[in-house]
Amino acid sequence: MTPSVAHDHSPLLTVRGLARTIGLRKLFAIDRLVIPRATAIVLTGMNGAGKTTLLRMLAGLEPAPGASAQWTDARGQAHDAPLTPLPPALRQRIAYLHQHPYLFRTSVRENIAYGLHARGMPRDEIARRVGEALGWAGVSHLQDTAPEYLSGGEIQRVALARAKVLEPELLLLDEPTSSLDGHAREQVIGLVGDLAAEGRTVVMICHDRELINLPGVVRWKLGDGVLDTHHP
Amino acid sequence: MGLLEAVRGAFRLLFEGDPVLWRIVWISLSTSVVGLLIATPLAVASGYAIAMSQFRGRRLVIWLVQAALSLPTVLIGLLLYMMLSRHGPMGGLQWLFSQPGIVAGQVLIALPVLLAFTLAAVQAADPRFAETAIAHGASPWRVMSTLLYEVRFGVMAAIISGFGRVISEVGCAMMVGGNIAGETRTITTAIALETSKGEFAEGIALGIVLVALALLVNIGMAWLQGAGGFRR
Repeated sequence: MTPSVAHDHSPLLTVRGLARTIGLRKLFAIDRLVIPRATAIVLTGMNGAGKTTLLRMLAGLEPAPGASAQWTDARGQAHDAPLTPLPPALRQRIAYLHQHPYLFRTSVRENIAYGLHARGMPRDEIARRVGEALGWAGVSHLQDTAPEYLSGGEIQRVALARAKVLEPELLLLDEPTSSLDGHAREQVIGLVGDLAAEGRTVVMICHDRELINLPGVVRWKLGDGVLDTHHP
Repeated sequence: MGLLEAVRGAFRLLFEGDPVLWRIVWISLSTSVVGLLIATPLAVASGYAIAMSQFRGRRLVIWLVQAALSLPTVLIGLLLYMMLSRHGPMGGLQWLFSQPGIVAGQVLIALPVLLAFTLAAVQAADPRFAETAIAHGASPWRVMSTLLYEVRFGVMAAIISGFGRVISEVGCAMMVGGNIAGETRTITTAIALETSKGEFAEGIALGIVLVALALLVNIGMAWLQGAGGFRR
């Protein structure tokens, strides 16, 4: 289930002109952001530096006026388009998880199937993929449970499975372990490590030492309005 | 006629299956249900659209909808009467003093209630909801159907309130319907007429039917809410 182009050396996505001002204050201005393929990236920075805003802009959930995106599709064709509204081709390749993910008030199984239904996939294919994802996230025993009965760790695992079934090449995670501890935290760290090991690019905002120390993790730091992508 | 005697007469009418009485109940029920069937999709779609979009004059629209909640039904009756009267702009329809006229009134009376309730329910939904749907590739239609499903109890409360308002209104049905026996005589217009004639038994019987309907509808609502939950 690894993305088919993981071995390609061109960047996954290049975004130009990402900027956000709040009132008169410039939050950040990033001329050129290159998101590499198959890389785990930890985004750090002070509170209020704009880390979440940056991730949400990349996910197309926050307007990014003037920003443009360049990428190469699976057939090697180059594309250049405004980032807002997010081009459908990018929507299919990017997953975003809120710090506290929202699960639809149906069942765990239906939550994981949501994006597949939206893509109009045949039912048996959906059932197969959802079954695999349930097993991967270790939530098969909860498949018919309503989300209001899940713990924080279970919610985070279901949300990761719901994103993974869509086979995104870029996962944007906002503090995936912030409200977890003990075994629940370990499980989520394991799943995030899996996603990175499968050759997906994972950009996560986090302060969790264990995630920062995952093998091969690249550190980005957002501060004073600029993004340092060569942070040691 | 004494009160006790009137109540006894009312139950006699109800249990003997008085055809005139049940015809009145049928006219009330059918015009209310048809009115709601027409008003609900219109109001729910516009309530959703207003809640989810930003446009100039949005606050004015919301203010007008909320103001329309407290419009007396006789005023709606007056406006509709002028529209439907022979020389009015919709006189050609010949709906005055007919059931379609009553239905048109019910639609106008139900619309603001349904719209305001749906608007409130959608606005109260968690903002992460629509974002999660969009981030998983849902089309605008799918976002709408999932969100309305998520706030279904709010929408159901809207429909129940709308039903309560149309089944119990008397002003508009009296003016536009004309209270014609067997044609446009509804529960409320019949109660008003019978009371003015001093015939309390039929008024009380119809009042009992109205109360029973209100109880039934609310039991149905409670049952639906109970059946909507999942068990672990």
